[in-house]
Amino acid sequence: MMMGDPQKHRILMVSDFFYPNFGGVENHIYYLSQCLLKLGHKVVVATHSYGNRSGVRYMTGGLKVYYVPWRPFVMQNTLPTFYGLLPIIRIILIRERITVVHGHQAFSTFCHEALMHARTMGYKVVFTDHSLYGFSDVGSIHMNKVLQFTLADVSQAICVSHTSKENTVLRSGLPPEKVFVVPNAVDTSIFKPAVNRPSGPEIVIVVISRLVYRKGVDLLVEVIPEVCRLHPNVRFIIGGDGPKRVRLEEMREKHSLQDRVEMLGAVQHVQVRSVLISGHIFLNSSLTEAFCIAILEAASCGLLTVSTRVGGVPEVLPDEMIVLAEPDPGDMVHAIQKAISILPKIDPQVMHNRMRELYNWHDVAKRTEIVYDRALKCSNQNLLERLSRYLFCGAWAGKLFCLVMIVGFLLWQLLELWQPEDDIEEVSDFSLPHNCDEDMLEENPVK
Amino acid sequence: MIEFSKSNVRYTYVHDQKYSSEVVDIHHIISRRSNAKYFFVYTTTLLVLACALYLYAYKEKSISLVYCSFLFDIFLVKSLLGNPIKKESVVIMPAFGVQLETHYVSGKVIRYFVPIDKILKPVLIECVTPVTCYWTLSLIIRGESEMVLVFKNLRPPVKILVHVWKALCAATGSNEETCAHAE
Repeated sequence: MMMGDPQKHRILMVSDFFYPNFGGVENHIYYLSQCLLKLGHKVVVATHSYGNRSGVRYMTGGLKVYYVPWRPFVMQNTLPTFYGLLPIIRIILIRERITVVHGHQAFSTFCHEALMHARTMGYKVVFTDHSLYGFSDVGSIHMNKVLQFTLADVSQAICVSHTSKENTVLRSGLPPEKVFVVPNAVDTSIFKPAVNRPSGPEIVIVVISRLVYRKGVDLLVEVIPEVCRLHPNVRFIIGGDGPKRVRLEEMREKHSLQDRVEMLGAVQHVQVRSVLISGHIFLNSSLTEAFCIAILEAASCGLLTVSTRVGGVPEVLPDEMIVLAEPDPGDMVHAIQKAISILPKIDPQVMHNRMRELYNWHDVAKRTEIVYDRALKCSNQNLLERLSRYLFCGAWAGKLFCLVMIVGFLLWQLLELWQPEDDIEEVSDFSLPHNCDEDMLEENPVK
Repeated sequence: MIEFSKSNVRYTYVHDQKYSSEVVDIHHIISRRSNAKYFFVYTTTLLVLACALYLYAYKEKSISLVYCSFLFDIFLVKSLLGNPIKKESVVIMPAFGVQLETHYVSGKVIRYFVPIDKILKPVLIECVTPVTCYWTLSLIIRGESEMVLVFKNLRPPVKILVHVWKALCAATGSNEETCAHAE
């Protein structure tokens, strides 16, 4: 084993989900990229264009983002054309001298296509799955087949919790030895508890989530009136918007809870902390969750969490910071009562300090680095050896996947003739000096 | 003079230094397409014409097929070979402005002048299309939302563009090392 400087990687992150959208996957890619840059690696992100935002952009720390001008067509996903992305992905991989391609989120067509092309061209590929999916409905069956195709030949995979690992391995048939568990983290420097906890006889329960079926809004509609009836001093704050908002409004009208339940509407990501610190308890009623960053943010702000015991949620917080309940209204009401009774013993600052030790993005980056090192040690296989892996995907599907890969290989060879690799110029690495922004601010002071 | 060869186009960069560079600074980029493309296009047109003639002579098809194939050939030659470019030039006059010239093989010359005080900064930027990504040299113009491409038709490699960019920076007084330096 060679001792010496650890190898620096050049990583391409691919996904349909990135800034300027905000969400779990988007933030994960951004924070992970920033921490990898600090560790000395080179990171480039490729995603589709958002409105007018297309071309090359640079973000903090020299993070280069390629907004490839392919329009999204449904739910933020690029139109799947199988081979449409091959030329541009090939050019990005060669110009930036990429060594590892890291794809995010199973529900991203850009990711699947880019990973397929990267494998055709012989690059090492890592895939991170952020969500849990079902097995029985039509959409899930097709999605799982696509996932089986992508993961048949991936170098390594990452899941955000052990439950997610089990789910991914079952859906895709991937050998468990290839899957690493690296949890998400939270930026504890932003999510700090309030200097003065909201005092007074009132207990405030905060809910922040998209108001969709998956997030258990129907449970909330049963739970909130019951809790308001049992505890006259409890108030609710609900942030977020979505198709199920109407049901919550109806509940407020029916039980005359207008002064006890406050609806904030959509909450911007920058305002999440100020909403959280106005409460004592955070309520999460999701019906399925691979990891749930929301409860990490709440715990980092010093709130006691009450959540449904689903998916990866039990793995996230220590027992003294969370009260779990089955996704049943009666059980949830009991859990809230228990939380209210243990509330006086909670110290927000102690909670925050504990979260700072348990979760931070630098740790996630170091663990991801280990996955990259392992991926690079995987052997290089030629086309025929790789094709044999696809045949195991199913009687018809296996042969179809083999055909797709063979056509992809031929198209790649054609591109190599049309535009040889030597003709594509490599980009030199730019480093932004530390005082670059300060110079610009001196010349144009912000009024 | 720097020669650079891509797969089917040869770019030659010439820096005219017969005048003093404080007064006039001229840069040329000469492109020469390789013969392969001409060979391919003309062979295809001959093949199409030959097929049409064969069908007319031996298979009793009408003469209009030959006329149509002839028109199709002309369309093919015009669209694929187009109006070939001989060279693109940049004439930098620090006192007046920058003149961008496109010289065609047919002898036509198109000139575009940008006054010196309209130029905010010359920049090298990467352009991303759905199938490719390449470097271009552009001028940011004061008061306009669109940038002006210095080389509108040719795509010379970035090693050549850097020389022209440095000359433009010197002429317009922009600080080359403002924000970024290559490792």
